Amino acid sequence: MVKGYTQDHIYKHPWERVTSASWRKFADPENKRTLSHILEVDTLNRRLDPDSGRLYTTRALTIHAPGPWFIRKIIGQDICHCVESTVVDAQSKSMQLTTRNVSLQKFIEVEEKIRYDPHPDNPTGWTICRQETSIRIKPLSALASMAEKVEQRCAERFMQNSAKGREVMERICKYLEAESSGMAL
Amino acid sequence: MGLGKRDKKSSSTATSPCAHLRAAYHNCFNRWYSEKFVKGQWDKEECISEWQKYRACLSEHLDDKHLSRFLEAEGPVGYVFQEDSGNPVENTAK
Repeated sequence: MVKGYTQDHIYKHPWERVTSASWRKFADPENKRTLSHILEVDTLNRRLDPDSGRLYTTRALTIHAPGPWFIRKIIGQDICHCVESTVVDAQSKSMQLTTRNVSLQKFIEVEEKIRYDPHPDNPTGWTICRQETSIRIKPLSALASMAEKVEQRCAERFMQNSAKGREVMERICKYLEAESSGMAL
Repeated sequence: MGLGKRDKKSSSTATSPCAHLRAAYHNCFNRWYSEKFVKGQWDKEECISEWQKYRACLSEHLDDKHLSRFLEAEGPVGYVFQEDSGNPVENTAK
């Protein structure tokens, strides 16, 4: 059982600003309230390839475990670790993030891929974001009967959170825009 | 009061002792990223001392083995998910 979703979003901000916002998305204290499911973000590894202009990053996201309370009861914990792997290519201007859960894999596998590219119609001014989410509930006997429902709940939760994520992104972009125009004065 | 779920000891607080170092590093990185890296100055990495301090703290406090594996990883970790469509996290578990 796998459910997949794709969402596109256009940011009316240049790629440089949008990807800068992406790094700040979970870290800005102001956004902690909106993205309250994210508890901690740690950078575990980072590598810059100075020849190609590629930046590789691995971050850990600690989030509230998805799903309804009875799932939390079964799995016995209410937090979940995800690992986010990012490649930014400054030369070709692309950013790709892949996030997967590393805890609770016996029960659920969630993979989220996000790509930020300059928008073909306005490459210096706009950015297109494509987000693909796939959710797979493991056919564990104890959960099999309710798995379908859980999957639905998870999916709804993810859609809500990604809408919140976009809201936060827009806000940070605006802030960065103001900051850069302030600097130019 | 005592009813809050967050009051309970949980691993969400595992890296909290590193919060200051983390903020220092992330601030430095964010500045480098938006002011240099995306503007073509990617030949030199910055924030090295912030990174080393933060990383040292993480390796002391990160007790989750799923995560510490990534901390110890060397090389192009960015490809960690791209290599195969299977389950890379469990590949090295045994």
